[in-house]
Amino acid sequence: MANKVVIKTEQLNLWYGEKQVLYDISMEMLSNKITALIGPSGCGKSTLIRCFNRMNDVIPTCRITGHVFFDDNDIYGPDADAVEVRKKIGMVFQKPNPFPKSIYENVAYGPRVSGVNNKDSLDEIVEKSLRDAALWDEVKDRLFESAMGLSGGQQQRLCIARSLSIEPEVILMDEPCSALDPIATAKIEDLMTELKKRYTVIIVTHNMQQAARVSDYAAYMYLGKLIEFGETEQMFEDPHEELTEKYITGRFG
Amino acid sequence: MYGAFPLIVGTLLVTLGAMIVAIPLSIGSAIFISEIATPKMKAAIKPAIELLAGIPSVVYGFFGLIVLTTWLRISFNQPSGESWLAGSLLLGIMAIPTITSVAEDAISSVPREFKEGSFALGATRWQTISKVIVPSALSGITAGIILGIGRAIGETMAVMMVCGNPTYGLIPTSITNVFAPIKTLTATLGIEMGEVAAGSNHYHALFGVALLLLIITLAVNIIATVILNRLKEKQRSPSKKKTRLSVSIKQQIRKTLVFTIIILCVVILLSSMGILLTVCIGLVVGAVYYLRKKVSAKTGQRIAFIAIAVAILTVIVILGVILAYIISNGAGALSWEFLSQGSSNLGRSGGIYPAIIGTLYLVSGAIAIALPLGVGAAIYLIEYTREGRLTKIIRAGADLLNGTPSIVFGLFGFAFFVLYLRMGFSLLAGQITIAFMILPTIIRTTEEALKSVPQSLREGSLALGATKWQTIKKVVLPPAAPGILTGAILGIGRAAGETAPIMFTAVVFSSFIPHSFVEPVNALPFHLYILATSIPNSARNQAGTALVLLLLVIGIYLVAVLLRNHYQKTMKW
Repeated sequence: MANKVVIKTEQLNLWYGEKQVLYDISMEMLSNKITALIGPSGCGKSTLIRCFNRMNDVIPTCRITGHVFFDDNDIYGPDADAVEVRKKIGMVFQKPNPFPKSIYENVAYGPRVSGVNNKDSLDEIVEKSLRDAALWDEVKDRLFESAMGLSGGQQQRLCIARSLSIEPEVILMDEPCSALDPIATAKIEDLMTELKKRYTVIIVTHNMQQAARVSDYAAYMYLGKLIEFGETEQMFEDPHEELTEKYITGRFG
Repeated sequence: MYGAFPLIVGTLLVTLGAMIVAIPLSIGSAIFISEIATPKMKAAIKPAIELLAGIPSVVYGFFGLIVLTTWLRISFNQPSGESWLAGSLLLGIMAIPTITSVAEDAISSVPREFKEGSFALGATRWQTISKVIVPSALSGITAGIILGIGRAIGETMAVMMVCGNPTYGLIPTSITNVFAPIKTLTATLGIEMGEVAAGSNHYHALFGVALLLLIITLAVNIIATVILNRLKEKQRSPSKKKTRLSVSIKQQIRKTLVFTIIILCVVILLSSMGILLTVCIGLVVGAVYYLRKKVSAKTGQRIAFIAIAVAILTVIVILGVILAYIISNGAGALSWEFLSQGSSNLGRSGGIYPAIIGTLYLVSGAIAIALPLGVGAAIYLIEYTREGRLTKIIRAGADLLNGTPSIVFGLFGFAFFVLYLRMGFSLLAGQITIAFMILPTIIRTTEEALKSVPQSLREGSLALGATKWQTIKKVVLPPAAPGILTGAILGIGRAAGETAPIMFTAVVFSSFIPHSFVEPVNALPFHLYILATSIPNSARNQAGTALVLLLLVIGIYLVAVLLRNHYQKTMKW
């Protein structure tokens, strides 16, 4: 299967107030692959991933120049609608953030806000999403209990299920395992490999081993600039840039 | 002879009407301030609404008596505008700042993660607000509403001035006619206490009424405290059990809401304009229910945002009109003579110097008593005791006193200081009564200020061999001082504006300046009350007095707000 370009950025610059956070980022991300954004804290990787579904719109002082194309449509173009973009590009956050509602309602929320109100369709979507997120067997008997009672790893898989519920094309994951223990992390990583069969996955991680284990492509960022971008294997075995090599061999950062 | 049932019904009806006015406007305003306003708008509107919470009730009552009741009388062609409707409208307006502030805090404290989670799923802003943010903030919003109800039930002066206070509380006419005069528990106390013979049946009946009022407001405030505490606990530890509890609270709230709406419909159905109103409300509810499923998320958002904009604009316009009326009418009366001379011709001419001095005496005496007591109590609670049953009881007591209607303090002062301790109507009795009233505010704000000093600072000092008192004096109190000061200023503002607690303990309507603590005084709010209700042809001096009182109190609150903002900016742990 040929992989097409799903998300492409061109000369992307971003400022928070006066402070420039991203400099001239140009990169392409392929469908059905996992692309990892790596780099030391504060390098702008989380900011970059939040550009892909316009989550930075929530921050009032944020200003952007350049383009982000999703399936060849500029998501910052004059006709683009952030709400529509986010229906196509889902996101899982660093800290699990289930709503203070029942497990069922958490997953049904996305379809509901997109206008699905039929009980049977909702039931079907909830079950399918939870199965796809490998959570169904653990929660099927307590769907109507509060999501706040789940463990951290379960909450994060619930958030993944929630983002699958509206059938996006891309799933963005912003350090999805940083708040989890190793066992929960392993489950999420397995899940990612499973998910890339049907979705495009972009993940931010500060864990080098995780990037090496799960990703097909890796982008190394430093101080808001894209230093190196290529196949993960090549980048970890024979990086082109000295900065990248220093970082992945642990000599800095 | 002295059945209180009509009074209870009166209080409930006026409060109910007030909440119909206040709840939609307040929640709309709270959503606007926390979710829609730009940071600049928020920075302007939020302190403005907090300032409005500080306008003395007698000033609201003055506006209600002069403007609102006249408007009602003329527009609806009624014999008198002093009515249930006037009371409800005015109390509703007065409750808006309270409910808005608490609801806004609750909405703002919903974690940003919830909002982002919802946006990331392609929800619109309105979907996010209505389905995630408001439900998450529901307990805080409810607590705000309950505090608003408490304020409305306990309010005396404004109600006394605009409700008409019929001698016999005739329930049937009241229930079916919003233009009927109505009498509440508080107004009964305010009016009849001054005319009653001490020790008579009537006197004891009034204390019965006060007890009833106390019980009702206690119940209301206990409910609010419980809800707010549960909210705090939930934020601290989202354990299974508590979340399930909060789910059941939400169901409870939903049931109560439905129940209230049904009662409302029945009441409205019975009232004079019943059929028309019911049809209108029915149409609106039907349309909303029908359209909810039909319109797209975007159109829904547009409609909702328009409704919210209407709510906040209404609030701003109402409060703007009140301020503009008092300022434009009062400015003409202001002059150096008005501020520096005694009144003549029963206050129709001359100035308000004695009233200004009286207010300053009362307030400074009250703060001199309350500040050391309150700060001492707070230091004891925070630094010297372990958290336990005793601190809980003291704290609950302070909270409950905080919600007690000021007229109840007035009655207590009258019975205990004026009569039992034979102080008579005197400066001292007034000062002590006001001190009691503001004590809880000072205790709680001081406690908060002390709590916000990190434990590590205390440990650092103790580890250097400092004694406990040295630590408190040199390490804990200095950073807490701005917070304590803010509490003291809020107390001063409240003391300057209150009428009910001094009405039966300290004030006389005169141009008399006391020379000792045992003599009576005049005070600005009381002067305004008497001018507005009992002295015809004194419009100019009424407006002037209202303006001076308003400027004094708002000025005091402004200092507190500025101090707090400065403190929040500079102190970051």
